[in-house]
Amino acid sequence: MTTTTFYFKSLRNETLKLKHTFALWLTAICALLIPLLFFIVYIVKWEKLIPAEGVNPWNKFANEQIANSLPALVPLFIVLITSLIIQVEHKATAIKHLFALPIPKWSVYFGKLSIVIATVFVTYTMYYGLILLNGNVLGSIRPQLNFSEFSPEYVFHIKILFRSFVSVLGILAIQFWLSFRFKNFIIPLGVGMVLVIVGLIAARAPESIYFPYSYSMISMNPLDEKTSDLNLFWWFPTVSWYSLGYFVVFAIAGFFDIKRMNVK
Amino acid sequence: MMSQLIVKTEKLNFSYSKSKKDIDSLDLEVPKGSIYGFLGPNGSGKTTTIRLLLGLLNKNSGNVKVFEKPFADHRIDTLSKIGALIENPSLYNHLSAKQNLRIASTYRANINKDRIDEVLETVNLLHVKNKKVKTFSLGMKQRLGLAIALLSKPELLILDEPTNGLDPKGIIEMRELIKKLNKEGITIFISSHLLSEIEKTCTHVGIIREGKMLFQDTVKALTASQSDRLQIELETDDKYRTYDQLIKMGFETKKIAHEEHLLMVSVKEKSQIPVLVDSLRKNNIGIYQVTIKNNLEELFLNLTEN
Repeated sequence: MTTTTFYFKSLRNETLKLKHTFALWLTAICALLIPLLFFIVYIVKWEKLIPAEGVNPWNKFANEQIANSLPALVPLFIVLITSLIIQVEHKATAIKHLFALPIPKWSVYFGKLSIVIATVFVTYTMYYGLILLNGNVLGSIRPQLNFSEFSPEYVFHIKILFRSFVSVLGILAIQFWLSFRFKNFIIPLGVGMVLVIVGLIAARAPESIYFPYSYSMISMNPLDEKTSDLNLFWWFPTVSWYSLGYFVVFAIAGFFDIKRMNVK
Repeated sequence: MMSQLIVKTEKLNFSYSKSKKDIDSLDLEVPKGSIYGFLGPNGSGKTTTIRLLLGLLNKNSGNVKVFEKPFADHRIDTLSKIGALIENPSLYNHLSAKQNLRIASTYRANINKDRIDEVLETVNLLHVKNKKVKTFSLGMKQRLGLAIALLSKPELLILDEPTNGLDPKGIIEMRELIKKLNKEGITIFISSHLLSEIEKTCTHVGIIREGKMLFQDTVKALTASQSDRLQIELETDDKYRTYDQLIKMGFETKKIAHEEHLLMVSVKEKSQIPVLVDSLRKNNIGIYQVTIKNNLEELFLNLTEN
């Protein structure tokens, strides 16, 4: 078998393993939660939320859900979802089985890592899809909110969502390695939670540019002003590059650690 | 002609921690076509050895050759000819038996679609193939684990305590299945802490204690090595008088601690037993029970219990 067949076989299996798992529900719940909350608030308190004449209601509606809510929640979600997806293996004591199969160990590791990334990506997509859907539904239920008069700034939203997505890849690789390494899910979960909280607090300090758990916050408001303007051609800020750097380093170092690990 | 060795380790060493050697200079030799029983008390290093054979643990020193090739250089090629069931079967509880097998077959190359039903039939689980594994009993899970190990028609089957969690009927079925698979040409390596299990199924045996190989040969050789002595357990109404009498007659006799009426006597052949009984009866010693002990059982205990 070739490299690609090993990889795609692994992907196929990882997808099948996710069936009927709590990890799958968690992604749906997480994607649903905030848009649902905003939807209810807009339905109930619509009178206070009517925009001024000529103001695009989408900006406030989408920005609050993207820039204000996401940065703190996504890292927590990453910690939970990576741990849950790998727990599927630990619960089945399957690492010993997988590593005794005639397949390269990297196909297991990177196949699973890819699935975690895909899951996070799907959650982002569902999240944004729901924001758009909710806005349109609101527009037809409460025409006064003016949602149907204006259209959302798709490009701006997609840019900032993608930036947020890239900014969490670093911690995703770290959490993935920890979850793979330790059977006991309390370890990656505990370590992750503490670091996420530290990251949220530290995000205001300029030094936090070196601390990947702050990147989700920073990505919304990049420290270097040159790239903070999303309308600029060059909208991919330093923090995104650093996050990718952490991702590559921890994905590879993590794999080499797992590869030579004694599977007990 | 020396038969080909499917598994061969030379001076294999491994420790989990620096303070203790878990596998100590182990030389393991599994001939092709054999049913090799790997016997040892709990914690003696059986599972550790199996994990070393499969490359799940990194050996400290020594060689592991499987199918006459160094394992480390031919990992994927070697593993494609092995089916293994290590400790508890690795099963995804939230999926059905069939889905579990499908995952295993996707990982492996060239597995025919019908093969899944075939192995389910072999382990007698075809009727529950669409049920989720979480509803399975321990014995059913063990059998499904075996089905997964059989999926790729392996040349070498490694089973770690395969009868764990099985009921007596299941144990007998497992024994039959192992013999049947062996007849089809599969070399089988079984670990167990029960001598009776090994004695009934295996052609070869290796006895391990504290990571060291104590004995390794055919089961026949093991039996033969003990056939010049018979151990008898004797229950009488007066342990001390019996003991004195037997010693007087020149029998090697041992008192068993904490047993009020039991003695162990060693005789050369069965014909000595009536002689012994007659002489005790003449001395008015009441005999309640005379039992010939299983030599191998004794040997195993002697070997493994210091």
